[in-house]
Amino acid sequence: MSKIKVVHYLNQFFAQIGGEEMADMEPELREGLIGPGIALQQALGADYEIVATVICGDNYFGSNLEEAQSRILELIKPYSPQLFVAGPAFNAGRYGVACGTIATAVEKEFGIPALTGMYVENPGVEMFKKDLYIIETANSAAGMRKAMPKIATLAKKLINGNEIDLPAEDGYHERGIRVNYFHDKRGSTRAVDMLLQKVKGEEYQTEYPMPFFDRVPPATPIIDMSKAKVAIVSSGGIVPLGNPDRIESSSATKFGKYDVTGMDRMSKDDFISIHGGYDTAYILEDPNLAIPLDVLREMEKEGQIGELANYFYSTTGTGTSVGNAEVFGTEIGKQLLADGVTAVILTST
Amino acid sequence: MNKLIVTNNSLVFEKYCNHCGVIYLKDVGYLDVLYAVRDRIHQSYVLLTHPLAGSLKPNQTPYKSIIITRGEAGVDTDSVVLIENSIAAAQKFLRDRNTPSWSEKILGDFRTVDLSLIENAMQKRSFN
Amino acid sequence: MKLELGKILIQDVQFGAKTEVVDRTLFVNKEEIIELVLEDDRLIGADVELARPGESVRIAPVKDVIEPRVKVTGGGVLFPGMINKVEQVGSGRTHALVGATVITCGRIVGFQEGLIDMSGPAAKYCPFSETNNVVLVIEPADNLETHDYETAGRLAGLKVAAYIGEAGKNIEPDEVVVYETKPLLEQALQYPDLPKIGYVHMLQSQGLLHDTYYYGVDAKQLVPTFMYPTEIMDGAIVSGNCVAPCDKVTTFHHLNNPIIEDLFARHGKDLNFMGVVLTNENVFLADKDRSSDMTAKLCEFFGFEGVIISEEGYGNPDTDLMMNCQKVSQKGIKVVLITDEFPGRDGKSQSLADTVDEADALVSCGNGNVIINFPPMEKVIGTLDFVETMIGGYEGSLKPDGSIEAELQIVIASTIANGYNKLAARGH
Repeated sequence: MSKIKVVHYLNQFFAQIGGEEMADMEPELREGLIGPGIALQQALGADYEIVATVICGDNYFGSNLEEAQSRILELIKPYSPQLFVAGPAFNAGRYGVACGTIATAVEKEFGIPALTGMYVENPGVEMFKKDLYIIETANSAAGMRKAMPKIATLAKKLINGNEIDLPAEDGYHERGIRVNYFHDKRGSTRAVDMLLQKVKGEEYQTEYPMPFFDRVPPATPIIDMSKAKVAIVSSGGIVPLGNPDRIESSSATKFGKYDVTGMDRMSKDDFISIHGGYDTAYILEDPNLAIPLDVLREMEKEGQIGELANYFYSTTGTGTSVGNAEVFGTEIGKQLLADGVTAVILTST
Repeated sequence: MNKLIVTNNSLVFEKYCNHCGVIYLKDVGYLDVLYAVRDRIHQSYVLLTHPLAGSLKPNQTPYKSIIITRGEAGVDTDSVVLIENSIAAAQKFLRDRNTPSWSEKILGDFRTVDLSLIENAMQKRSFN
Repeated sequence: MKLELGKILIQDVQFGAKTEVVDRTLFVNKEEIIELVLEDDRLIGADVELARPGESVRIAPVKDVIEPRVKVTGGGVLFPGMINKVEQVGSGRTHALVGATVITCGRIVGFQEGLIDMSGPAAKYCPFSETNNVVLVIEPADNLETHDYETAGRLAGLKVAAYIGEAGKNIEPDEVVVYETKPLLEQALQYPDLPKIGYVHMLQSQGLLHDTYYYGVDAKQLVPTFMYPTEIMDGAIVSGNCVAPCDKVTTFHHLNNPIIEDLFARHGKDLNFMGVVLTNENVFLADKDRSSDMTAKLCEFFGFEGVIISEEGYGNPDTDLMMNCQKVSQKGIKVVLITDEFPGRDGKSQSLADTVDEADALVSCGNGNVIINFPPMEKVIGTLDFVETMIGGYEGSLKPDGSIEAELQIVIASTIANGYNKLAARGH
């Protein structure tokens, strides 16, 4: 009986090509297995064979989502894989997004089971859990030894068409998919049980967790705009030519502060957009569409606003984890307050 | 309180056009009525009835009638949240399956039920 | 109020010359039933068929399901304010033919209520696949206005259930259960150390085919009020809801409210069941504010430490459910909600149309959007003409060979949000 053909996806680091300096590497295919592929092959056993490993730099993937996907699908096609495993990506955000994206694409294109593994805080989990099985892993490669067997076990279940158990049992992140089953007690009995636990202050388990909304109370409104100091903050990925701070095109891990002293408008000779989540053509032609410097300078001259700050803050919104966004917001807020800014225009894309 | 009905149901229009304001959106779908209400909410209108009234799911009945009224200046956030949640719910159903093209008899039945859902609300009197 | 409920177990149903119960078999006189139904000249046709557990029978489209019961002693008659005069019920002795039902069937509007399969894969989702059913198929007069037809159909079912219930009046029950709720202060004193628990019962109240009646009063007109739990056992609450099959609370389910039953089962043991607050689910938003404020007020006034809240319906009622949950919780009362879910075909979307932070204890009655397949049945009572227009059905649902592919929503009471069934949903 022939072995089940597996294709493995790795980024430049796990493929032992290089670190951050190789993150722009374009998709390549190598026959057989590389690096973590050994652990995967071992966990899968003799009935499976990793026939090829596809490698792509995290930056390249993030900045060229469409192209990266289509090139990788082309590379894989001749191998007629029956199973696809990406990563695991642990807590690496860009890698997680790449794994999630390519696994979803492969599943859709070839109709084969595809899965990956990530740490709970990896933004890829929130983004892809509904579409893919994502095995829970530790937050660093130290967790490889524990992760691979779980990936392999779940992969085999998917290949054999076995019923997938609850998240806790099979070790994957809860996908938020509601599935029916028959309990041995009827709903009303369970309600009485749950109520008595709650009334007595005992622990209880809801059968449907409410979605969590992190609410921020709004600041008090500005009475007189003509006295306000306004600053622009954007998640549109606008950065100076050359992206000196190397802000990522998706899943940003940093933000930048850029000077606009003496400028009446944003010029395309000075600024670009590196955002990987929208078609930047219009903004590359006229960055004022994302950073409305031209209009705000006019309003400043006319006295409609008190003063415009001579800088703007910028980062990339797409794929950026809620956790990171909170960190950026808090830090930017502190800096703005220290500079006497009283109002912010936040442009998103 | 001046009631304004936004509806795509001819029965509702016929019954109430002389009674209060009716925005009759002829030949549009369920979601379009929700969008029209949402747009007005952003122009300071306030919801008086629940946008998802009735057990007929959004991909079942083509008819929807909602009563709104002019609010104070600004935007009523409760109305915004309610209409947006309703739109999301409606889109979810329509994504699974589109509203079928029903026979005239069945469309008449849907119109009758939609009218009835509004009737009770129309009888309410308010004193503000 | 104290009620003795005498349960007469029925294991079979047959036609007979006389409507009576003999050795656990219910015999019904077909002609008398038809005559009774046709007393209402809004109906020009009626037929009676029988459907027993395990038979290859499909019933569609279903309007209501009612359990035949009869008041033996204690004042009042069944279904007060509906087919009988308004008189307080809930005390004395009532007999129920347990294991038998009356099902009304027949078209009211183009999109019909759902179906019941007596065997096969769909049977496990519906409690009435396990009861012996007297199915009343009704036909309206030509051009009968929809509201009138709904009323006529509703009353026909109640009348027939009451008529059949009479057969149990003088039978010695197989089991007698005693339910008692004392007046508030006495009830509190009866079990001073047990937590005081209440039940907030939300009644469907949106309009035509979406109504419920309490002593004949349309629930849309109610302000929240108190009900002794035993009143419901005599038919004080009747269903006029006839649109969404899966979470329809039939009159049978009102008579056999599982939350009331389960609370009584623990009453005096680990809880003190104080009573029921009734409220509604109106479409007019100001009514929701009023009803939820008053519901919370009553719960606080009655000294409830914990309440279970159940709803009927989806969408608009979810808002009432959350408002009640929030306001009652804010009074310091612990709340558990029971509801069904509609997270879309793939189970990935939001299950409820509304949410509040306080809704942290929820019992799920299942996902109604799941697609199920059920084979053709040898016999159809009623008609399958409307399957594709039923909620849960769609174009192509009814296959040429009579098999059906549809959402679970199409099966009567499959995901009913009062916890009657064992079906639930969980997160994968």
